[in-house]
Amino acid sequence: MNCKTLHTKIIFFTEGSLPAREMEEIKIHLENCSNCAAFANEMKKTLAVIENENTPQLNPFFYTRVKARLENRVEEEKVIRRSPVLVRILQPAMFSLLLLAGIYTGIKIGQPAKISSDVPVFSENEVVPYFNEMETEAIENFLME
Amino acid sequence: MNETEIIQKLQQGNEPAFKELVETYQKLVVNTCFGLVQNTEDAEDIAQEVFIEVFRSIQNFRADAKLSTWLYRIAVNRSLNHIRDNKRSKWFQSFDDVVKGKTLLLNHYASENLGAELENMQRATILHEAIGLLPENQKTAFTLNKYEDLSYKEIAEIMDTSVASVESLIHRAKTGLQKKLYTCYKKKCF
Ligand SMILES: [Zn+2]
Repeated sequence: MNCKTLHTKIIFFTEGSLPAREMEEIKIHLENCSNCAAFANEMKKTLAVIENENTPQLNPFFYTRVKARLENRVEEEKVIRRSPVLVRILQPAMFSLLLLAGIYTGIKIGQPAKISSDVPVFSENEVVPYFNEMETEAIENFLME
Repeated sequence: MNETEIIQKLQQGNEPAFKELVETYQKLVVNTCFGLVQNTEDAEDIAQEVFIEVFRSIQNFRADAKLSTWLYRIAVNRSLNHIRDNKRSKWFQSFDDVVKGKTLLLNHYASENLGAELENMQRATILHEAIGLLPENQKTAFTLNKYEDLSYKEIAEIMDTSVASVESLIHRAKTGLQKKLYTCYKKKCF
């Protein structure tokens, strides 16, 4: 057996689940090949991690936590079920209204900008009147005493 | 209390029966969740949810079914859902990056630790990452076999499939793990 074939069987060798003849073949290879032996050793130690993990330390507070969580959940549901119609229906309705109002305002604010970009002449006339006083004085005058 | 008694009392809303159920099956559920999510905190969190689900749906439990099979199924489903929900964040990280990153972190924090202990922590990290990369049903079959020591027949019942396909799933899982571990070994990410 060459090294490459061995690498595809090493996990089964570690478990001891290969046919006897293959087990023997691999054993002989490992005695003569330090590279494969090192990998086989590492594989064995890595798989041993599972053996250590499958007897976990049980959390002594586990039941208490489950119970607390269950009770919390029951409480939450009671609050929802008990709460008056006012809260259950009117509250979402109010939120929806608020949202609609927001959207409407948004559209209203957005619209003038769109119009003005289409017809720029109007927008100038609309803005300029507020600065009418400035027209009476030439801009150069600001620089003179 | 035997299984039937526990179920009957649970269906009547009996609290001591629930306590007994949790204490009897805590290890089974936590262990199964851990094998799948490979993280202690998440495993316990999911396990708590499993028992809450059991408590709330015990009325629908068929008397002829096996309680442990049902518990395994809920534990597996909830763990797989948890993994799916968390997958997106890991999408762009490759296996080697994750292992290297975690190993660096371990080296950093464990510089005062004993050598052998540190080595085992690294091995655990690599193993967890490699198991995490297995396809869902391979991971499930492998976990039930390796972490819960269940027979192929029991696993087939839980996964609602044939013994032959469980055998094939576990074989592929082991081959996949072996490949990952070898790649990692060659690149010296140990
Ligand atoms: Zn070799």
